[in-house]
Amino acid sequence: MIPLSHFMIISAALFCIGLFAVLTKRNAIQILIGIEFMINAAILNFVAAGRFDRVAGGGQMFALFAIVLAAAGVAVALAIILNVYKHFRTINPDKIDTLKN
Amino acid sequence: MMKDFIPYISISLNETINSLSFFYPEFALGLGFLLVILSDLFFAKKFPQLPAFVALLSTLFAGVLSFNMLKQSPVQLFGGMIVQDHLSTLFKLIFCFISILFVLFVRYHKDLQSSNKGTGDLFSILMAVQLGLNLMVMSENLLMVYLSLEMVSVGSYLMVGYLSNSPKQSEAAMKYALFGAVCSAFMLYGMSLIYSFSGSLDLFSAQFVSFLSTTPFFSWGPALIMMLIGVAFKLSLVPFHFWAPDVYQGAPTPVTAFLSTAPKIAGFGILIRLLAPFQPLSLSGIDNSMFSLTGVLAVTAIASMIVGNFGAIWQNNVKRMLAYSSIGHTGFMLMGLFIFSVSGFKAIVFYMVIYSIMNMAAFMIVDEVEEKTGKQDIDEYKGLGKSFSLLMIAMVVVLVSLTGLPPTAGFTAKFLIFSAAIEAYNSSGSGLIMTLIIVGALSTVVSLFYYFRIPLNAFLRKSDDPIIAFKNSPKSYISMFLVFLLLFFIIFPSAILGHL
Repeated sequence: MIPLSHFMIISAALFCIGLFAVLTKRNAIQILIGIEFMINAAILNFVAAGRFDRVAGGGQMFALFAIVLAAAGVAVALAIILNVYKHFRTINPDKIDTLKN
Repeated sequence: MMKDFIPYISISLNETINSLSFFYPEFALGLGFLLVILSDLFFAKKFPQLPAFVALLSTLFAGVLSFNMLKQSPVQLFGGMIVQDHLSTLFKLIFCFISILFVLFVRYHKDLQSSNKGTGDLFSILMAVQLGLNLMVMSENLLMVYLSLEMVSVGSYLMVGYLSNSPKQSEAAMKYALFGAVCSAFMLYGMSLIYSFSGSLDLFSAQFVSFLSTTPFFSWGPALIMMLIGVAFKLSLVPFHFWAPDVYQGAPTPVTAFLSTAPKIAGFGILIRLLAPFQPLSLSGIDNSMFSLTGVLAVTAIASMIVGNFGAIWQNNVKRMLAYSSIGHTGFMLMGLFIFSVSGFKAIVFYMVIYSIMNMAAFMIVDEVEEKTGKQDIDEYKGLGKSFSLLMIAMVVVLVSLTGLPPTAGFTAKFLIFSAAIEAYNSSGSGLIMTLIIVGALSTVVSLFYYFRIPLNAFLRKSDDPIIAFKNSPKSYISMFLVFLLLFFIIFPSAILGHL
């Protein structure tokens, strides 16, 4: 049986990869991919820890909801990014800065 | 394996059925959501204002239903997923009030009315967001916290980018969505860590509390702080406030007014619930190490007040200025949370009611000026006191109230928070809370400088533009009614406090 700590180490690594992508990528869609990594890290944790919580099954249930909500969030974000592309012809968040004093 | 669950099925079914009778306000909102969509689909051509009317009606209905539950003793619903108590009902009533104002605001907002998208979808999003807000303040299970927070977040992204007719608006929406998604991913990861440590999602279960009291803060603290990042984003607390000025400036003004009030208030509701299991620990002295929960909260509150109020001084755009000032107000409200007792909650709820009235009125007046003259900057407000005399007098009252001076209800609200904070200082003697009180007082003084630039320009500086007397629109009458409320509640604060 694989101990819980191994899952948690992998998920921590996934989370860090995702965070790194969010901080370094210069493309809104790549940032979204990074966010997806972070969410999946959390989902892995939930499923792994859910094995020790058989009666309530909270971890498994949470993972299902998190997957659905992540998809909903990405759908909305993609629609918004599409709108941004229509106006700016770029989706690099650094180059989009009309909102300033 | 499956057989073990069979005895539980009938129990949990009964519990669910019994819970339904406490869930009427949310049913009203859910029904409203469907009806708004249907009325927009089938009757939008004939009766373009029908969706607004339906939204208004179902919000009112939900408000009346929640009001009837005000005297209800706390009950846990749906197997401990959510709890219905006095505090959550108060929050729900505030959301109903804000939603009603939002619907009226949209009804009299030119840009949204003249857009070929129509406003029907906006109202259906509003209903869904309000349902999310209600669930937010009721949730006491980590799953519900995450679900309801995301429900509100996704809805607000859509609201900000609703028209997307200008580059600014779509930029604001993108920044909001990306920043929000990162913060909610942090929160989700924090929750997953807390769940892996404690083995329970229920914030008030014996398992959860015993885990917290036997494990040092050092091990669960970082996970908790990650979890709080999601809430701090909703509250626009420093250092998660970067989105606020951009989004407030770019979004349609009614949406800005909504975002600066309702989700923030719900964020406080959720903060109160999230911190409740941790609170006995800080009182019993387990968590008085350098890196403690109270310390983290106090530092964010101080930073928010400083960044918010000093940031506002340098702003020229009115909406950006109000954004920074609302960051400052959030930091201030956080002060009421340190006394984790009835008097602290009372002070916060009162402050929230007044804060939502002030912010709604301020944004309505700003929007009215922008619609009539196209002026968005404080510098351009020169001489407006002559063309919009009544409206600008109303604005002065709102700004006096935002500063927290008598004779407006803003003073009473600030006074209650200060007395709650001093009570917390007397019982704990913590130097951090004293610093908090001092920073709060100083930031009130600083806020005078930027709030009073508007009346200074409007009344004392002359402009070269010809004076045109504008007719008051329904929107300005609504804002004047809100101003009247601000003056009313300093004389009769018991009209609110009596229900708390």
